[in-house]
Amino acid sequence: MIKRFFDWLRQPLGLIAVGIVFLTLFSFAAYGLYTTQQPPEQPVQFPHKTHVAFGIQCLYCHPGAATGPAAGIPSQAKCWGCHNQIVKTQTSLLLAPLKEAVISGKPLEWVPVAQVPDFVQFNHRAHIAAGQNCENCHGDMSKVTIAENPQVFNMGFCLDCHKKVAGDDHEKLVKLVDCGTCHY
Amino acid sequence: MSDNFSRRDFLKLAGVGAATTAILTGCGPASRYVKREPYMLMPEYNYNGQSTYYATTCRECAAGCGLVVRTSQGRAIKAEGNANHPLNLGKTCARGQATLHGLYNPNRIRGPIKHSRGDRLYETAADPFNDEFKDLDSNMSWDDATQTVADALKKYKPEEIAFLMGTTSDHLFDLLTDLSTQTGINAPLRFGVLSMFESRATLSKAAENLFGEAGLPFFDVGGAQVVFSFGANFLETWLSPVSYTRGFAGLREAHTKKRGTFVQFESRMSSTAGKADEWMPIRPGTEALVALAIGRLASELRGGPLPRAFSDVEPADAASKAGIKLETLQHLAEMFANSAGALAIPGGTALGQSNGLAVAEAVLALNAIANNFGKPGGVFFSALAPNQKEYQRPASVKEMQEFVQKMADGKFKALFIHGVNPAFELPASLDFKNALKGVEQVISFATFPDETALESDYVFPDHHGLESWGYQRVATGSAQPVLSGLQPVVSPFYATRATVDLLIAAAQLAGGKFSEALPFKDEVEFLQSKIAPLMNETDGFFSAADINTFSAYFQQYGGWWKTTEGRAVPNTADVLNLNLSGTEAEFAGEGEFFFVPFVSPTLAEAGANKPWLQELPDPTTTVMWNTWVEINPETAHELGLENDDVVKITSEAGVLEVPVYRYPAIRPDTIAMPFGQGHTAYGRYAENRGVNPADLLGQHFNEAGDLAFAGMKVKIEKTGKKKPLSRLESIMGVYGVGLGEEH
Amino acid sequence: MIRPEEIKMSTEETGKWGMVIDQDICTGCQACVAACAMENNISFVGEVDSGYGRSMHWIRIERFWEGEYPEVKMTAQQPMMCQQCGHAPCEPVCPAFATVHSQAEQLNLQVYNRCVGTRYCGNNCPYQVRAFNWRAYKRPEPLSNQFNPDVTVRRMGVMEKCTFCIQRIHKAQDTAKSEGREVVDGEFTTACAQACPATAIVFGRVDHPESLVSQLGQRANGVKHLEELGTLPHVTYFKGG
Repeated sequence: MIKRFFDWLRQPLGLIAVGIVFLTLFSFAAYGLYTTQQPPEQPVQFPHKTHVAFGIQCLYCHPGAATGPAAGIPSQAKCWGCHNQIVKTQTSLLLAPLKEAVISGKPLEWVPVAQVPDFVQFNHRAHIAAGQNCENCHGDMSKVTIAENPQVFNMGFCLDCHKKVAGDDHEKLVKLVDCGTCHY
Repeated sequence: MSDNFSRRDFLKLAGVGAATTAILTGCGPASRYVKREPYMLMPEYNYNGQSTYYATTCRECAAGCGLVVRTSQGRAIKAEGNANHPLNLGKTCARGQATLHGLYNPNRIRGPIKHSRGDRLYETAADPFNDEFKDLDSNMSWDDATQTVADALKKYKPEEIAFLMGTTSDHLFDLLTDLSTQTGINAPLRFGVLSMFESRATLSKAAENLFGEAGLPFFDVGGAQVVFSFGANFLETWLSPVSYTRGFAGLREAHTKKRGTFVQFESRMSSTAGKADEWMPIRPGTEALVALAIGRLASELRGGPLPRAFSDVEPADAASKAGIKLETLQHLAEMFANSAGALAIPGGTALGQSNGLAVAEAVLALNAIANNFGKPGGVFFSALAPNQKEYQRPASVKEMQEFVQKMADGKFKALFIHGVNPAFELPASLDFKNALKGVEQVISFATFPDETALESDYVFPDHHGLESWGYQRVATGSAQPVLSGLQPVVSPFYATRATVDLLIAAAQLAGGKFSEALPFKDEVEFLQSKIAPLMNETDGFFSAADINTFSAYFQQYGGWWKTTEGRAVPNTADVLNLNLSGTEAEFAGEGEFFFVPFVSPTLAEAGANKPWLQELPDPTTTVMWNTWVEINPETAHELGLENDDVVKITSEAGVLEVPVYRYPAIRPDTIAMPFGQGHTAYGRYAENRGVNPADLLGQHFNEAGDLAFAGMKVKIEKTGKKKPLSRLESIMGVYGVGLGEEH
Repeated sequence: MIRPEEIKMSTEETGKWGMVIDQDICTGCQACVAACAMENNISFVGEVDSGYGRSMHWIRIERFWEGEYPEVKMTAQQPMMCQQCGHAPCEPVCPAFATVHSQAEQLNLQVYNRCVGTRYCGNNCPYQVRAFNWRAYKRPEPLSNQFNPDVTVRRMGVMEKCTFCIQRIHKAQDTAKSEGREVVDGEFTTACAQACPATAIVFGRVDHPESLVSQLGQRANGVKHLEELGTLPHVTYFKGG
């Protein structure tokens, strides 16, 4: 029975059918892969570019980056600290979810964008201390609203920079390409 | 399908299948569908990604070790010892490490419950590791719970209201004591199975008889040179294991002084005895004779008149009754007499026999020969905690028996139970469950759905220890007086409520004497009222001018302790003149085997519901997740018993079936069983696992009222069944050469 | 690019992190085993699987018996964990390069994301300290709240073992770097050493002669287990007595 099925597949009609199935699957897969790299929907369409234009430093809302492993997402209180003094908050549709969250006490559910897998232990502090700018990995925030990944965060991206930064310093290179520096 | 399906066809099919799978899994990694909820208002001392550390006290046993708990994003991650705390100096035992498995245990009581006695508090499942369990939801509000307690306080006469407590939560004990003094309700009674196995009443009665004060002795193992322990398993769960283990390390320290020697007298080699240089498996019941004989021989070696205390014993007679050679006794006496730092410790099974008090007195008297009272390496009275006037010990089993009798007789209309599980911890022969029928209203404050909570009318769950405020007095193990503090390290995970808060609110509702007795806003105000007197003390390691600053320090450091020595020197003027009797213990029951139950060093009182404690191998047998009975290999051979054979053990009080572990280091006439398993409730990891040796214990007491838990003889019968025990050692082997030994 | 001549042969390495264990004062209390399990998110496997030898103890206490009653003795307790061998038998056999030697920390690393579960490394380890995730062991809610965020939670099919608490090593080094100084001896230690009530385990830099672990290691009668196999273990044991 299987043989008859395979024989039909070798016919022109069968070959076209295989082609269509393959193309369909491939396009689903391609679309799926494409969507993983698109910035996800956020509860508030937060305009980074507006805030950067006001001169607010990255570390004001994400202070964890300079002191520890995780940069963190600011608490509602951080946003509300300024926004409860801004008249526009009362009427703005964009800010309605924030107002809703602060009043009801339910936190906003942000979707993290610059994700690395669970088996990677990433430490922000070391990168800031080494003189890396936030834009080097996270892109130019003066151009985007919600955060987007300017490139894929894969190990190749990390290692390329690690090797470049180490340069001729052998000890530094050993430390930066050591598996145990990030995977434990 | 018998026609041709060739290898080539198979490979083609497999190839298409593989390609399809590979493509379909490319549709996005799952981790992107994560949501991050930031704080509404981040506490000001928090940094994102960094941990916050809180000092508190461990509540897994009564010792009161200081903990520093690492929390991250409001979750408790790791418990470590508090490096400044004088009792444990930064160290923890296995139970302290696993306390987080209690906080985040899947079977906890989640809110107040109106209950029917005997009903389940959670549905069991066949496979505790893979099946889903369904916990019972809370079915009443805390306002109603408070009203229920207030009604109970008002409705019944004060003498009809009783509180039964465990050995932790000293601040709750103090509140109940105050309440009792001012309103006439029964003073709270405290009990814990650990204190049953430690024979605390015996220790303090012996101290009273010898030194005139009913205190808890402390034995400075760390400063001694030669330690003779009669049954005291101080490296396991006895009194204050972290402190005593540190002492043991000091005894053995061999680089700045001579390595100390340690002899353990015990019928079964516990893991404490396993560390001894000599293990003396003397016949059970002869400990008093042996101690006095050593005393006599040692006194004779020293020369001078023979003290009255040791003159009634005949060494040769003692040796033969104990089953050892007279030369051995002489050798031991020499060791003791010739050492500059000899110390004798009574405890464990030696006190859990009908003549336990005589044993304790004989062994304590031995220290008079060593002349070590109040000196480094010797015997002290444990430092009383700050603000404590005298040592308050938990109830002996005899006192519990009287209490249970009152319950059965209907003397108590309302019984409140906190921090103890008497339905499991008390010997079944006391019939606690049945006695509950004589109590009109039983209210449990249990955090976990244990056997006693199942028999209650209401369960108003207290917070877990890590979610609680409070303090714990360090009863022994520290040179300084220590009051160890508790503070919540996380917000309460469920809708539980601090029992002290509940009682204060109920007292206000009840009005009258009750609200006058507890005029506090809440638990914190009550605690502050209790620690405020410490501000007037000198020698504290911190002081402050006002209560709020003092409390802040108290929380930050994890308690308050003095910087000066607090251990009292026993008054030993008359010790050697006492008329000490060299008695032998009497054993109840018809069987041929001495029965030795011992507390599991890993599970202790209440560890059975914590999965990582269950997976810790027992230090001597390496068995995990179960109960076993230890039988000497020769005896097992004679009885035709192999490892894992299930035997039926019969005592005068009960019957149990349990698998055999052929244990190389136990007397041929003795069998031993760990206490800790055999739960019929208490969560998915504890339930239906192992057996409870307390089911075999009859009501026999020593002279001080402690249970003669090692004072029974039992029968063994084969059942023909087998139950495989999970051992760690089966990987490595049991006998023979270990890794790294010289071949 | 690392040049071949810069790669040090492991037989020349002095080792960086090591331990000294005093078997005479170890009481076998299992505090270290519990501490390690809590620190490193180790799964518990249950009665059946632990009976089959599949329990995942990264550190275990070994004890043996000598003699027969009444002349029977328990041998000195022996805490056994990954010895972080300088010349590890587990390293060359991994087809996925998941267990590599860290030149930066001189430890034997286990890279969970590379591991495909051949278990060749576990087979090769003479100390039998490697644990394999035979099943997707469940941690029913809310036990997962206890997880240490600094340690990867392993899935089924992955080998794991003691890492000398490399997360603590990195954290201490990071803190020291942020303060512009070197890590001080005793500033941090492994979970097992921190818990041990008898202080039987001491951890630190074996390449710094002034560290406590180096000084203790100098005492006479220290042994390294199975040294004759040429594994160059970094743990020294003292029997005492």
